[in-house]
Amino acid sequence: MTTQNKKSNQFLHYIDLIRYKTYADLKAETQRTYLGFLWWVFEPIMYMGVFYIFFGLLLGHKTDDFVPFLLIGLTIWQWFKSCLSHGSETILGGHGLMQQVFLPKVIFPIILLLTDTVKFLFILALLLIFLWTYGYEVGLSYIALPILLMVQLLFTAMLTFLLAAIVPFLPDLRFVVENVLLAVFFMSGVMISPDIIPEEYKMYYYLNPMANIIEDYRNILMHNQWPDWTSLGIIALISIIGIALTVRLIKRFEYIYPKVMV
Amino acid sequence: MSNPVEHKTMLTLENVGISYKSNRGVFGEAYWALKDVSFQLNQGDSLGIIGRNGVGKSSLLRMIAGLIKPDAGSFTNHGYDVSLLCMQLGFTYYLTGRENIILSGMLMGMRRHEIMEKMDDIIAFAELGRFIDQPIATYSSGMVARLGFSIAFQADPDILLIDEVLGVGDAEFSHKSALMMQEKIKSNKTIVFVSHHAVLVEQLCNRAVWIEEGVTRAEGDTHEVLEQYNRFLNLI
Repeated sequence: MTTQNKKSNQFLHYIDLIRYKTYADLKAETQRTYLGFLWWVFEPIMYMGVFYIFFGLLLGHKTDDFVPFLLIGLTIWQWFKSCLSHGSETILGGHGLMQQVFLPKVIFPIILLLTDTVKFLFILALLLIFLWTYGYEVGLSYIALPILLMVQLLFTAMLTFLLAAIVPFLPDLRFVVENVLLAVFFMSGVMISPDIIPEEYKMYYYLNPMANIIEDYRNILMHNQWPDWTSLGIIALISIIGIALTVRLIKRFEYIYPKVMV
Repeated sequence: MSNPVEHKTMLTLENVGISYKSNRGVFGEAYWALKDVSFQLNQGDSLGIIGRNGVGKSSLLRMIAGLIKPDAGSFTNHGYDVSLLCMQLGFTYYLTGRENIILSGMLMGMRRHEIMEKMDDIIAFAELGRFIDQPIATYSSGMVARLGFSIAFQADPDILLIDEVLGVGDAEFSHKSALMMQEKIKSNKTIVFVSHHAVLVEQLCNRAVWIEEGVTRAEGDTHEVLEQYNRFLNLI
């Protein structure tokens, strides 16, 4: 076998491994509880229910758009947040495995991104069902939804790779990540509409990619409007460059990670 | 290459050193687990690496397996597949025996179709019968060990690295596994076996390397190396 052949063969094997490990992790998770897989549905229903009861019923937002507005923001945010906070520990968590076999370390965060994305897709389906029963309709702009999801996944992957690459050297970073995420949560317009932001600060508000992304989802799902292609394009471009750089960063430490003390 | 049947050199280690940081992360002073290790591994060798606990034997195996790089000296693998014998690699307790076979096998580098072909043999060797489709969380520790062993032995690299793990599973199975291990070592396979048990090395290896405080103290015929090692042990 030529070296080139061997390399592409090895690459295909890693793809297959990522697929099987993702399936295995998801399955293992469903086996841990009595209701198993149903929790992927019940948990978000309970979560959304809490917000519906609190904002919709108790605070009387039942008639306006606030509940769907909030649930879209929360759903999208949860996906981003879970990938980052779980993903940051993946290379650190793979320490036992990497002492025994050689694996490209970037595999660890990739598997996490995939498992969390599969779970998110269930929640997204629920959200769509909620929106349709609430009275929103499927519009032409839904075509842009897969693109938007893809851009968010790329953006999330870039940040997840970066955190996963650094956390083994600076485990303390995990505590910072949680709080930074909370701060960004408030700045991403999950709970507030950008309309209330003073005009002179709006420019800074939209420097946050998540603020743009969440607004794009709302435009598609609630107002049947196309996303803002310019900002989306810029986010996609930055993410792709970022992924290329962070993957190289992880590669650079390929033989160092197994030596880092846990 | 003049004569391919001749014992070809597979690995060459020259003055290899491996260091770790004595603190967490990237900070702290370097601590040298290995300082100056040199030897060669030739095709067909069963090489025993002997030394007391904590002299960096496991680090050495990890380097040979290609998991880490030497921090000093040079290590050359002349193009061979090397892997560590790993028991229960990646075992996940909520998955079935069958799923763990696939996952573990794939982590060891086997292609999925290869694993499928060997599936029946692996299940038979592990003596698990109908339990194979139960989550391994329901297995006894002996059953898990048997499964781990059966999978581990399916990997067939050019060079197999073994870190003393001969005693596995219940007594009867332990005997079976020890036999298989010996068979593997005595066959024409190339093996690196790490241990602090002089007796085992004597039984299983034709060549030996003795490492003390990170430095190769002797290399050569097992008998001669062990004689020096034992003399050293009696002195302290």
